Amino acid sequence: MTVDAPTVRVEPVRAPERLIHLSGITKTLRGQGEPRNVLTDVDLTVHSGESVAILGRSGSGKSTLLSLIGLFDRADEGQYLLAEQDITRLPERRAAALRSAEFGFVFQRFFLLKHLTAAQNVAMALVNGQGWLPRRKRRAKVMTALERVGIAHLAKQRPPRMSGGEQQRVAIARALVREPRILLADEPTGALDTETGRLVVDVLLETTQRGCGLVLVTHDQEHAARMGRTVRLDGGVLSETHRGALL
Amino acid sequence: MIRTSGRFRSSLVIGGQGIRARKLRTFLSMISLFTGVLAVVAVQAGSVIAERALLADVELQNGVDGTRLMYLPQHDSVSGITLELLRGRSDAVAASSTSAIIGEPGVKPINPGGAPLDQPGSYGGGGSMVCDQTGCRPENDPNANAPSGQAIELQLTMLTGDVTTFKPYRPSSGQWLDFDGAPSMAPRLVLNKQAAEGFATHRVPAEMRVEGATANPTPLIVGVVDDGGYGPAAYVRIDEMANWMPPTTTGDSGRYGGMEVLLAPSAHEIEQTMRARFSAAGADVNQMYTRLVDSRSSMESQLSLMRWIFLALAAMVLLIGVAGILNVGLATVGERIEEFALRRAVGTPRLLLAGIVLAETLLTGLITAAAAIGAAVVGLHLAGAVLGSREPFLQDIVFPWQAGVAGVIAGLVAGVLGGLVPAVRAAKIPIATVMRA
Repeated sequence: MTVDAPTVRVEPVRAPERLIHLSGITKTLRGQGEPRNVLTDVDLTVHSGESVAILGRSGSGKSTLLSLIGLFDRADEGQYLLAEQDITRLPERRAAALRSAEFGFVFQRFFLLKHLTAAQNVAMALVNGQGWLPRRKRRAKVMTALERVGIAHLAKQRPPRMSGGEQQRVAIARALVREPRILLADEPTGALDTETGRLVVDVLLETTQRGCGLVLVTHDQEHAARMGRTVRLDGGVLSETHRGALL
Repeated sequence: MIRTSGRFRSSLVIGGQGIRARKLRTFLSMISLFTGVLAVVAVQAGSVIAERALLADVELQNGVDGTRLMYLPQHDSVSGITLELLRGRSDAVAASSTSAIIGEPGVKPINPGGAPLDQPGSYGGGGSMVCDQTGCRPENDPNANAPSGQAIELQLTMLTGDVTTFKPYRPSSGQWLDFDGAPSMAPRLVLNKQAAEGFATHRVPAEMRVEGATANPTPLIVGVVDDGGYGPAAYVRIDEMANWMPPTTTGDSGRYGGMEVLLAPSAHEIEQTMRARFSAAGADVNQMYTRLVDSRSSMESQLSLMRWIFLALAAMVLLIGVAGILNVGLATVGERIEEFALRRAVGTPRLLLAGIVLAETLLTGLITAAAAIGAAVVGLHLAGAVLGSREPFLQDIVFPWQAGVAGVIAGLVAGVLGGLVPAVRAAKIPIATVMRA
């Protein structure tokens, strides 16, 4: 493509990168009583710029799968490749570093600290012992993240004075502030009304346009249908139900 | 290194946020800890001040630490040689003490034997012990047959130079002896406080009878010092007494133990010179010996037991404060489970979570230590202002830095002890808490 006007910037077309590749993942919960298979031989691949919805009934293993992808937990069997690097058996110290650098997390409950402002809540992901940014750079990153989710004007507000949608946007800004390659969202609209939930999903989908991989756990068919791909977990077994074009 | 620095800063930033978010709890923790830290500061400050006060008094008697005390042999030539060698020197001063009676001529002093004036008869009739090469024996009372009258007996110390370099007598009034000018025919005396009080009480005529003197001079009192002594005493230039006493007498008083020389640590050669000269003159140099003044170490061993006992008591009070911090810390970690799980989810290592909790308790301990040290400084200042007139050692007293260090250490130790268990608990909070919530 030839561009005459010097002010126009052309983004090179890049092939989607395979960010997450799970194969043969099995997880058994061992607590009181009989061991319970939560995930059985799960295969899942997520590319950069791709959005994947995970559907399933309560207790089907959706959150467990998200925990494994987000390195909160380890699989009993199978292999986990992150950008082609085998991270199946990773020590906690390195897992923490990867969580910080590669993943952003959005939860159903927003988990904002009441005593901190929106900006300080977002900065929490930067002040986590994984490197150190000077205050000015930190503030710039925080404001950029808040602008991306459209609430930069609320930077100095504390969570109790915000609506649910605003709080969830702060939580998304916190997930995005380190510019992760993968965004993991665990029922992010569960505590929001339909319209606000729709807006939050808009924000999440927007991240995929910048090359971020999105994995969304949801009960909501409407939100799932907006994802590029939908998979269903049933009794710990994963099956693909809908495949759209890679975004 | 960068990672460590980032974690350290992160723990301080997050710890500071935690403290600001829970001001009342932090304040209550500080109150429970304050008494313990203050106790440690007070004990340490008290022991240092007591040691300083004791050492200051001991220095008046023994000389400052590092001074070498040289005791001279008894021989007719010793006094003359010593005066000749030490004339004009500031790094070596000879002192020779004798007995003097100032007052009405030919009367028995009101304090025979130079006894303290508040206990004038405590030394008996004045027939004190006298010691020489053959040993010690009772001396006949020279005033046994004298009538009672207005006279005060005191210890007269004759000096070749300024002894305050070695014994820092505290000026009380007037001036100290001037060793630079020519000697005066009327011996100039500096009294100690006890002698000055005696002369203020008993207005006696100023004639001075000195053991061994050829005549009784009229002294000129030029100043008063606090020499830490209990009995009346006076100080005089030895060359001013030489006008009234033969040289052999100025250096040979059996009652007060003969002549001694105070040497600065740098004055090594003078000892050798004196030894050689005494030997050549026929004195028994085996009677010479030198002792290094080291009052601090001997006092420290005496004071350390007391200090440890009081520190142990203070530590027990501190433990109560630690229990308070521990209690609040455990409750706070229980309330912050979701926060810590979330922090782990965004990549905070376990070690940093423990560091955050420890940073909060350490900051609390340090702030408490600062408050306790401040209170101790103010308290000491007030004590000096209110009690200074009654207790001279409290005048111009300076807060000892050792007490400040002890306070900071106590605050840090309390912070670590109070924060350790909550920190471990915080580090063990499972990350999946955020998923199950």
